[in-house]
Amino acid sequence: MLAASVGLSVSTSGCLQHVRSIVNRNEVEQLSLTITTLSADGDRESIQLAQDISATLETAGIDIEIDMQSREAFRRSVLINHDFDIYVGRHPGDIRPDFLYETLHSKFADESGWQNPFGFTNLTFDTYLDRQQRAGGEEREQAVSQTLEALALEQPFVPICVPHEFRLARTDRFDGWEQGHLATRMGYLGLDPPTTEEAVLRAVHTDSRPSQNLNPLAVEFRNRGLITGLLYDSLAVPRWSEGGADAGGSDEETDGIEEDDDRTYTSWLGTDWTWNGNGNENENENETGDERTENGSSTDTDTDPDIELNPDADLEPTGTLTVTLREDCQFHDGHELTADDVAFTIDFLSDTTRDDSEFPAPSPRYRGHVDPIADVVKQGTYELEFTCTASEPVAKRILEIPILPAHIWDERTETASIPAITVADGTTEALITDNLPPIGSGPFQFENRTEREFVTLERFDEHFTRRESVALPEPSAETLRIRIDPRSTSAIELVETDDADVTSLALESYVVDDVLAAESEREQTSDADPLEVIESSTGSFYHLGFNARTAPFSNPRFRRVIARLIDKEQLVSDVFYGHARPIAAPVTREWTPDSLAWTGTDPETPFLGTDGELDVEAARAAFEEAGFRYDDEGRLRVRY
Amino acid sequence: MLTQLLLQVAVAVSILLSVALAGVVGRDRLSLLREEWKSRLRTSAPAIALLLAILLLNRIMRQQGRSLSQEYGVHMTEVFYTIEGEFVLLFQAIASPEANAYFSISYVYGYVFLLIFPVVAYAALPKTIDFRRLLIAYSLNYAIGLVFYILFIAYGPRNVFVEELTQTMLYDNNPQVQYLTTEVNRNTNVFPSLHTSLSATVATFAYQTRSTYPRWFPIAVCLSISIMVSTMYLGIHWGIDVLAGLALAGFCVSLSTYLVDRWSLTAILKQVRERVHEYRDTVTTPSQKNS
Repeated sequence: MLAASVGLSVSTSGCLQHVRSIVNRNEVEQLSLTITTLSADGDRESIQLAQDISATLETAGIDIEIDMQSREAFRRSVLINHDFDIYVGRHPGDIRPDFLYETLHSKFADESGWQNPFGFTNLTFDTYLDRQQRAGGEEREQAVSQTLEALALEQPFVPICVPHEFRLARTDRFDGWEQGHLATRMGYLGLDPPTTEEAVLRAVHTDSRPSQNLNPLAVEFRNRGLITGLLYDSLAVPRWSEGGADAGGSDEETDGIEEDDDRTYTSWLGTDWTWNGNGNENENENETGDERTENGSSTDTDTDPDIELNPDADLEPTGTLTVTLREDCQFHDGHELTADDVAFTIDFLSDTTRDDSEFPAPSPRYRGHVDPIADVVKQGTYELEFTCTASEPVAKRILEIPILPAHIWDERTETASIPAITVADGTTEALITDNLPPIGSGPFQFENRTEREFVTLERFDEHFTRRESVALPEPSAETLRIRIDPRSTSAIELVETDDADVTSLALESYVVDDVLAAESEREQTSDADPLEVIESSTGSFYHLGFNARTAPFSNPRFRRVIARLIDKEQLVSDVFYGHARPIAAPVTREWTPDSLAWTGTDPETPFLGTDGELDVEAARAAFEEAGFRYDDEGRLRVRY
Repeated sequence: MLTQLLLQVAVAVSILLSVALAGVVGRDRLSLLREEWKSRLRTSAPAIALLLAILLLNRIMRQQGRSLSQEYGVHMTEVFYTIEGEFVLLFQAIASPEANAYFSISYVYGYVFLLIFPVVAYAALPKTIDFRRLLIAYSLNYAIGLVFYILFIAYGPRNVFVEELTQTMLYDNNPQVQYLTTEVNRNTNVFPSLHTSLSATVATFAYQTRSTYPRWFPIAVCLSISIMVSTMYLGIHWGIDVLAGLALAGFCVSLSTYLVDRWSLTAILKQVRERVHEYRDTVTTPSQKNS
């Protein structure tokens, strides 16, 4: 009996070994992925891009599902929970390429917000980004080109196109729309007539989120910071390059940006600032005739012990930025705005728990702006010195952050609690509060709102732009009423019927042709209708993001093949009716290196096919070359 | 703009109503209603209260339930698309400016009229049973619809066939309409189609009462079919939503028949009152003895 069983087990053991090695191999399955995107009510272009891309990928043998989400839910899945395979959406972008640092640096892969939602980690790439962050002068341009070329090679995300922005405005009640960019606060200031009592500026906004939440740190609810900019002041205002670099129609190259202070920032809450570089390059540039003479290479002597922002010892400080604030400014609730609030804001953005919790919870917004600030030293009520670990142009991004009132946000450091629901650690009150009413120091103050209907802002008469001595554009209207209207067609109708003065968000592409046709008709018939189509440049772009945390999206070869399945030129004409610029590099024209300039096709990852029609054989060959396999039925198989 | 539009709808619907009331219900019934409305209202008070409560709840929950739905709801858009494919695009074959106008009007004005008219018409009947059944059926439709809206997250076809439906989309052709229909903000409330279920409910009632209101029956059927088609033609609902709406209507009509007159509130009250009396008697008797 015993012998029999021993004999049996011996005889089967070889077989079992064989079975185990078969069973323990995970199955190679058909690649099935979900494209997360917005519904047509949220962003018409995104869903159309996703649909076109999914159709192409399906012909290449990939099983695709499209997950449509609302604006907030989309951002929550992609930017906070990183719960996606591939997403298609719009990146806020920037007019300067410095945002690439937080967008792709591996040290941000674990954070939420627009910093590295892809979970892209590549040490070589990090060194390019570090170099871009710290290089100045000509080296900076080289470093940016190098980063962009590496990006085109690695494709952590596929930049698709930069849409042209069109807005419709009435000129009979307010004029001077083209003075400031309508996606920023400056578009709504300094309008003619200069000061109108009891006048209401009526904007129609096609996104309902500002009526639900006005927290400048809530990444799900913020777009490009228009309303934040009206409610909160920054130290300085970035200047948009003249002439609309990305305005549609003209294909002319604009001049490269000169790294000259006067052209990059205008003074705002800060009256002037001085950069003192460490070491060899000791540039000393002033904004508005600064009289102080500060000697260079100043290392902090009396460091505020509370503020230690970047403990990364590897980074030698590159210089200091001394900023002088405008005096006697106050918040909407009457509190005075001093250097304390500025220092607090920078500290708070890098850790919204303010060292109370076991680990820091950085703000999902403005991360890249505060990251190069290693230390803040207050030098009086209205003066601060920032010790920076980045080059001058990068360090100066700190001038763009909204200044939060310390006395309000100081109390929002606790981990938020909702009865009966476990809240993820690091979710501080500051990140989830709806911040109503928002108290800032900006040119407009919050009056009231009705969810999904309107937000009303009142002019803040104490704002410094209202002073006689300040020659900056000031709020001319007494009231700014932002009406929420979810569709471009009805927004246009409101402007046409004199129920609104301006569409504050760019019109959806499918109505642009109609609007332009109506415009030229008005010109021909010299109609007295006081309507104006405003075209503006933008740094914002559509892209396809990979979740590089999981296979096969972690494989750069895979990402490159996917990039080659996307016909950007065709998508621009199909989805944007030609009102967009296909791109290989996610930056404005003047920062695009020649090697990545659009030449009618993508210079790095050209489309595998013609006129939107995929060459299936070529696509298969590309996948196979990248090490993937197809089965008999033409399905792409991968090991997860 | 909203008030102007509301006024427009109110005027249009009241004209329709007065014509239909005169033609369908008749002067005799209406004058009787004028005399007896108080007593009929009293009999129907529980049903009216129920409907009002449900409508109020519906209003609150459509706002509040959103976050709940986003958190726990099941995403169904892809499932619907897989099941029925491009079915709703069949209606694009009849797309034309006239069809746009007809279906938009049916969807907005026709629907309001279709829901209000039977309320008045059945209130004008001496027996309140149909009136109460109708109100209960409406309440059930809204209540069950609300539960489904929270459970299932689905986007309508206009979010999937973005390009194909541009020509017939309600909100692009009549942008002002979106102020009336709340769907555009709560764009995930498509399953089931309440436009369909309520229209079908009214049509079923019209069938059941066709001997009383012979002229109403064909009107109700035509109108409710137009409304159902319009939901798909305008890209608001999937075919599946419409089917589910029909099923919901059938369920609500039969349940309303089952529920009405099952319990009489007055009888219950009477019973309670008797109990209270009995109890008081038993309590007071011993105490009297003691004193």
